[in-house]
Amino acid sequence: MSRISGGIINRDAPISFSFNGQNYQAFEGDTLASALLANGVQLVGRSFKYHRPRGILSAGSEEPNALVQLGRGARLEPNARATVTELYEGLTANSQNHIGPLKRDLMAINDLFAPFLSAGFYYKTFMWPRAFWEKLYEPAIRRAAGLGRLSFKPDPDQYDKGFLHCDLLVIGGGAAGLAAALTAGRAGAKVILADEDFHFGGRLLSESYTLGDALALEWVETVLAELNSLPNVRLMPRTTIFGVYDHGIFGAVERVGDHLPTPHKGLRQTLWRITSKQSILAAGAVERHIPFANNDRPGVMLAGAMRAYANRWAVTPVQSARDPIAIFTNGDDGHRTALDLLAKGVELLGVIDTRADAPRFGDYEVFASAKVSDSKGRHGLAAIEITHKGQPKWHKVGALGVSGGWNPNVHLSSHHRGRPIWDDDLLAFVPPKDGPKGLIPAGAAAGRGCTGDALSTGMNAAITALGILGLPAHKISLPETLSEAHKQEAFWHVPATAVDKKRQRKRAWVDFQNDVTVKDIALAHQENMRPVEHLKRWTTLGMATDQGKTANITALAVMAELTGKTIPETGTTIFRPPYTGVSLSVLGGGDIGQNFRPKRLTPTHKWACTRGAVFVEAGQWMRAQYFPKPGETHWRQSVDREALAVRAGVGVCDVTTLGKIDLQGKDATEFLNRIYANMMGTLPLGKVRYGIMLREDGALYDDGTCARLGENHYVVTTTTANAGLVYRKMEFAHQCLWPELDVQIISATDAWAQLAIAGPRSRELLARINDGFDISNEAFPFMSCAELTICQGLSARLFRISFSGELAYEIAVPARYGNALIERLIEIGQDLGATPYGTETLGVLRIEKGHAAGNEITGQTSALMLGLGNMVSKKKDSIGAIMSRRGEMATESKRLVGLRPINPNDPVVAGSHLLKLGSVLSLEHDEGWITSACYSPHVGSAIGLGYLDRGDARIAEHIIAANPLEGQNIRLEVVSPHFIDPEGERLRD
Amino acid sequence: MTDLTPLTALRDRDPRSARFGAVTLSEKSDLSLASLYIGAGRTKPHPFGLDLPDIGKISNAKDHSAFWVGPNQWMIERKSPSECDFAAEVKAQAPETAVTEQSDGFVCLELEAPEDAMTALLAKLINLDPHSLTPDTAVHTGLDHMTVFVLRRSVTRLDFIGMRSYADSLWHALATAAARMNNLDT
Repeated sequence: MSRISGGIINRDAPISFSFNGQNYQAFEGDTLASALLANGVQLVGRSFKYHRPRGILSAGSEEPNALVQLGRGARLEPNARATVTELYEGLTANSQNHIGPLKRDLMAINDLFAPFLSAGFYYKTFMWPRAFWEKLYEPAIRRAAGLGRLSFKPDPDQYDKGFLHCDLLVIGGGAAGLAAALTAGRAGAKVILADEDFHFGGRLLSESYTLGDALALEWVETVLAELNSLPNVRLMPRTTIFGVYDHGIFGAVERVGDHLPTPHKGLRQTLWRITSKQSILAAGAVERHIPFANNDRPGVMLAGAMRAYANRWAVTPVQSARDPIAIFTNGDDGHRTALDLLAKGVELLGVIDTRADAPRFGDYEVFASAKVSDSKGRHGLAAIEITHKGQPKWHKVGALGVSGGWNPNVHLSSHHRGRPIWDDDLLAFVPPKDGPKGLIPAGAAAGRGCTGDALSTGMNAAITALGILGLPAHKISLPETLSEAHKQEAFWHVPATAVDKKRQRKRAWVDFQNDVTVKDIALAHQENMRPVEHLKRWTTLGMATDQGKTANITALAVMAELTGKTIPETGTTIFRPPYTGVSLSVLGGGDIGQNFRPKRLTPTHKWACTRGAVFVEAGQWMRAQYFPKPGETHWRQSVDREALAVRAGVGVCDVTTLGKIDLQGKDATEFLNRIYANMMGTLPLGKVRYGIMLREDGALYDDGTCARLGENHYVVTTTTANAGLVYRKMEFAHQCLWPELDVQIISATDAWAQLAIAGPRSRELLARINDGFDISNEAFPFMSCAELTICQGLSARLFRISFSGELAYEIAVPARYGNALIERLIEIGQDLGATPYGTETLGVLRIEKGHAAGNEITGQTSALMLGLGNMVSKKKDSIGAIMSRRGEMATESKRLVGLRPINPNDPVVAGSHLLKLGSVLSLEHDEGWITSACYSPHVGSAIGLGYLDRGDARIAEHIIAANPLEGQNIRLEVVSPHFIDPEGERLRD
Repeated sequence: MTDLTPLTALRDRDPRSARFGAVTLSEKSDLSLASLYIGAGRTKPHPFGLDLPDIGKISNAKDHSAFWVGPNQWMIERKSPSECDFAAEVKAQAPETAVTEQSDGFVCLELEAPEDAMTALLAKLINLDPHSLTPDTAVHTGLDHMTVFVLRRSVTRLDFIGMRSYADSLWHALATAAARMNNLDT
């Protein structure tokens, strides 16, 4: 045990947890990392490539080493950072990326082959022999890739989403963030203060000094109490701001239930979209380490983290309390750790300071102008080699704190591609001037990490931000702080001694998580992978889950040393979202399973369910695909029956999903004339006309019908797929192209339930619900429309139009009556053979009739190809008309044809390519393709529609339909696209 | 009077209602709606004594109210106990306008909750500052990938008017948010 006195843990609330099957005890307030350290556990995982033993490096979200698998079963979560995992009763964690026990990982053999696994070995090694790639290399690499493993079970937890709006978002709840929030909160601004930690305070929780007369923690608690009392301030602990987006929008994840044994009601995390007028980046800084030979052993830790563990969590990172600790630093900050450890009674070997004029701040030994040049210890640090005055000497230690300076957390400030700026005094990059608009850095994130500076920059940032918003804010009384020594020298890594070949073989790690060493960077330099973008990809530096937070700047410094350039000349690392890993579950905001996206239900949905309909998604609509009857074991049986019933008697189909757009106004006629390619201005009252719309480039856009219900009143129908698009196109045309036209355009798709009643007995069926309107062929011929009443007074609209090729009507009633109407029609039409039919039969009927649908109107086809070239009127202008007459479109030779197999048992497969008999199966000989296909019970074989070169002149020719995917070459006969009633007599009967 | 039996947008004979702690969610099946459009530059009429409001606002006059839905376009609404030709009534009030019946085009789901709960609930539903959604405010926005009109009738009452075909999904979205806020199952 290495628990010491003090800390912000609740010793009255013990917690039991397990790691690798071993049970341990810790306290409320511990993280998994502090709890493991408190129990003397140094070895927590294995490195990615070499499977080197690894321990805890940091105390925050920058952690590269201590990645574990949390939970079990479906709640198994890989790659969780132990340093930010809040401990709870019963927490179960396991180490990852090893075969066999953690201490005896079989994959550690990789370390012996390290000379062969250097940077770029993938690119060089797996190039040959080429045949090995698919069967050997790729599977092996995929097996070795990654760290933890997924459960492959459905996530049992729930996730939520929400939206927040504020005047000021303060990112980070340390000294600067608290000062900013308090300043803005007192000024009455709407403030959100978010911190990824479960306790506000940032580094103040990890330091031992006082603010004014009180301990830092007391000041934090006082400020939090006031912020909690302000109704205009929202405090969001356990919340990571992971991305900065346009227009003051921030992505945030709040961990609602991650700290609970089982998330309450299963709610684990909430995805917040925060819109803030101004924001303050007070995200603190991350400490750098100093690479030296074998610097990756468990027990080697960032000195600031060591201080945090001692002060906040009351632990030291040693296996035994008697093990001495050493500090290796290039600046004054390392000495602060030494002083705090001394104050806690920890055995201290001393401070190894790279500076010749190393100061001494207390009663401890200082090794000035010295370096740590090597380390020993199989599963944990046992000794370090200190090279002092040119002489190496081994010293036994249980842990080593390393301090190489601090990097401001500039990540969010570069999410809009702003380039951080190098500061020669700080020896670090600071936030760019061209960062996200309205984002003001403060505190350590701005390079002003001394407590006094952090407090004042936080306060001033809030005053500035509120000033921009026109909200007056005043300075607040900040506590007095002591001056903090913060000198440092530019010392980036301990080079191997040039004359000692044995030492040259040793590796010094820069990026712990991806096993990138100083030698790898040297190799990248040698291979001319010197630009920072190449360096990153060649070595995989910074590409692990930690995004190289503790490695990037050091790597740049090493490369700069090799190239003889400065660090900013070498390159600048910028970042993109997310700041830390965000689960896909929470990004989905809880919309999974049947709630993945909203569904649209038709007015007859309830009745269709009672009839056992099988549904199919049509966009967001759920449409009845077919209605199986008892004894039907295959969908084709149902569909054949439905199609034959329509041809022989009458069928009813819900076609509500077709778009319905209501147009009114004195210029409605002119508007439609400009929208439709064919003439609509001559459409008489009470009539319907088939129409086609073109895109601006002349290609077919959509087809449908236009019914004239009144002098200045039309109802346009569109395809289901294009209902919204056509409505949008009309709105655009009205608002932007022809605002002078007096026309109202409004969707009425959902307002009306529309049923197709099709078949030779459809008139008889309709007569049974009709209140007396004359629907005789003479009074109400093909392509008529009218408003009438049915079923004793229900207002309805009747259209005599046909998609099936049969005598047919479409009747529209207010949506609330749709369900009752279809029920009534099927009930009273039993003797007529009234049969409900779904989309599958709808498709069969329209293919038999040769009507185009989405398969034919793809955005790459034209009216000419459909054989409707003459419909594009030359007597008026309309959208796309002129462009449809341009060269390539006007000379397009493909035409819609019908296709029937020579052998009636052969299939017709949509997508197959059409070729001349005997021609080579190649693209050069391609003459078209099959757009739609089905089995036609009317014809007695499969049939199809397709576009074929000069198709209209090749009726009766035999061709080949090639389906290379399945090795099919089917002989087809080219026929008329109208498999039934080519003269159109049935629908006019 | 027709002998066909109508269904509500949620496909029942009677409107649905559910309670989640202090939050009540109810389907309002007795709302008549009609869209009204006036040509650009024309004088606004005053159907049923309504002042047709500016963007984002609701105006009320006795039993009727109106909210803005587009350039020169409003939705006129009235609580109607039984079926009626509401569009015809509106047209009679404003003969020079274009009116389209919309009563069956939409579903109206009403949320009633104390002010604090309503504010918290709004944060989970729509991307708008709840404090800007004051009484008699109407907005056209997105909710769970659906387009909705959100009408703040009062501090404690909010109506969501969405496309009828989305009724089940809209109910699910509102019920889920209300239940989660109260730590209840939907």
